[in-house]
Amino acid sequence: MPNDFLAVEGASVSFGKAQARVCALRDVCLAFQPGTLSLVMGPSGSGKTTLLSLLGCLLSPDDGSVFVDGVAVNRLSEAERTVVRQKKISFIFQAFRLFHSLSALDNVALGLEIRDPAASRRREMARDLLLQLDLGDKLHQEPNALSPGEKQRVAIARALAGNPPILLADEPTASLDAEAGRNICQILRGQVDEQGRTVIVVSHDPRWERFADRTITLCDGRVEEEVAVP
Amino acid sequence: MKLALQNILHDRGRFSVTVLGVSFAVFLMVFQGSLLAGFLQAASRLIDASDADIWITARGVQAFEFGTALESRVREMAAGVPGVIETGRVCMAFAVYRTPVGKQQVVALVGADPNVGKRFPVPDRPESSDQMSPDAVLYDVSDRKQMEVETLPAEVEINRHRAIIEREIQGYGAFLGVPFLFTSYRNATRYMGFDSGEAMYILLRTDKSYPLSQVQQRLRQRLPEVDVLTQKEFAHKSRMYWTMKTGAGGAILTAAVLGFLIGLVVVSQTIYTNTVENIEEYATLKAMGAAQVFVARIVLTQALICGLLGSILGLLAVVPSIGYAKSLIPWISAPWWLPCTMVVPSLAMCSLASIVSVRSALAVEPGRVFRA
Repeated sequence: MPNDFLAVEGASVSFGKAQARVCALRDVCLAFQPGTLSLVMGPSGSGKTTLLSLLGCLLSPDDGSVFVDGVAVNRLSEAERTVVRQKKISFIFQAFRLFHSLSALDNVALGLEIRDPAASRRREMARDLLLQLDLGDKLHQEPNALSPGEKQRVAIARALAGNPPILLADEPTASLDAEAGRNICQILRGQVDEQGRTVIVVSHDPRWERFADRTITLCDGRVEEEVAVP
Repeated sequence: MKLALQNILHDRGRFSVTVLGVSFAVFLMVFQGSLLAGFLQAASRLIDASDADIWITARGVQAFEFGTALESRVREMAAGVPGVIETGRVCMAFAVYRTPVGKQQVVALVGADPNVGKRFPVPDRPESSDQMSPDAVLYDVSDRKQMEVETLPAEVEINRHRAIIEREIQGYGAFLGVPFLFTSYRNATRYMGFDSGEAMYILLRTDKSYPLSQVQQRLRQRLPEVDVLTQKEFAHKSRMYWTMKTGAGGAILTAAVLGFLIGLVVVSQTIYTNTVENIEEYATLKAMGAAQVFVARIVLTQALICGLLGSILGLLAVVPSIGYAKSLIPWISAPWWLPCTMVVPSLAMCSLASIVSVRSALAVEPGRVFRA
């Protein structure tokens, strides 16, 4: 496991205390390699988001370990985990989570400011990312003026800022129509194939299955099924 | 830090209220500060206007306005102390002034020898280019209305003695609510009915080759029944009396502190509301890998932007207001450094106000980004 690029080993997570205690993940072991797109599925409450939080260094397991690029991040301090997120991990959310007062360009530039404070041409780099995602005419629009599909593409551009090797996406197509959803699937698949990123998508959306390299199904906090897509 | 600026600009209504709150606080602080500065200056203005190194006063005199008579021998004994090169006399008493149209009112009559100081308002100073009668009486231009003098020179009465008001001066306006009238020492003692040998204050100029403290010590030894104070000491004593013992300074200072507190509460409330409303954004920033310092800087920058703009607006409003207030309160004074230094407490106020907000932003769990 420590040799895997991204992995959880015997990870258990529970929330609450005493009788209200809920076990979200139980002894989960999973490994993710660079250049792969993994789809995590399962019913509500199965532990998908908790797994994403663990992999994203947002949460530490009660038991077990989480490895990012060979480092057991659960042993790191909060500040050190922040640096791991800054350098290696980006998130894409169902609700986009764009900064409402900033334009599309500034949203992406902010991602660069956080991940690469020394970068001198942040705005040009942000513009390039948005152009790559076909948002050249939306550079100066605020999120409220964008369609859901456009918002998600801006969010992806922001996630790609700083070139992180890991992308964690939580229901990235849940708020989108069919065409916009398919577009997002293609973009993320492209990041895997062209950039060799590790992409993990948590979704109920069956459209993802044909874009994924493997499908992991969680149920009651355990890995119920792990299927490699040929 | 564009996010900091854009976030506050996004809610312009709230931003305006914050800036107005800060500007009100700055206005109040500078205005009250000017009142206090002017009050302090006015409280010792006549002492500061003298060129004397040492003032001899009756025992326990707290301020210039409350002098009591000294025996004539005090001046002679002081003059004999090594290091004293010149003596002068000043007296002050309240007197009844009858205006040219016959109205009566109380004035503070100040008489001084011509050698007490170049800036001290004395009519018969020998080096003065103005040809003025030694019996002339002067008053401050800001008291013109109270003096009811239409043309100069004007014949008036002081304590039933005939007097001639010859000229208006500037910078020595009413401080006690009672106008000052200035005349020669000889003239003043006549109006006050003093023995011409008596004085309320004896002002000494010393030889610079003698240490001032040494001369002061010798004077104290020779004149144990009076107070021997350096000019600075008497000015300080006078200022402390008017500001601390009368409570006037305390009242002015309280208003300035209130201004600070009002600003603190307004900024604190607004920045906190803004932070709580955008708490999800702070969680997103942290999930993206933003360091705590980065998050804190955003909140602090918002507070400082409000502080800076509010300060500028407050200063723009207070400068003309003080100018106008001078016509009502002649002794109000805004030294150039006062508005500049007030920017520092206002920015400190905004920084202080952002502490609770910074704590909220820093405490937010980045893991909440996955909650809907």
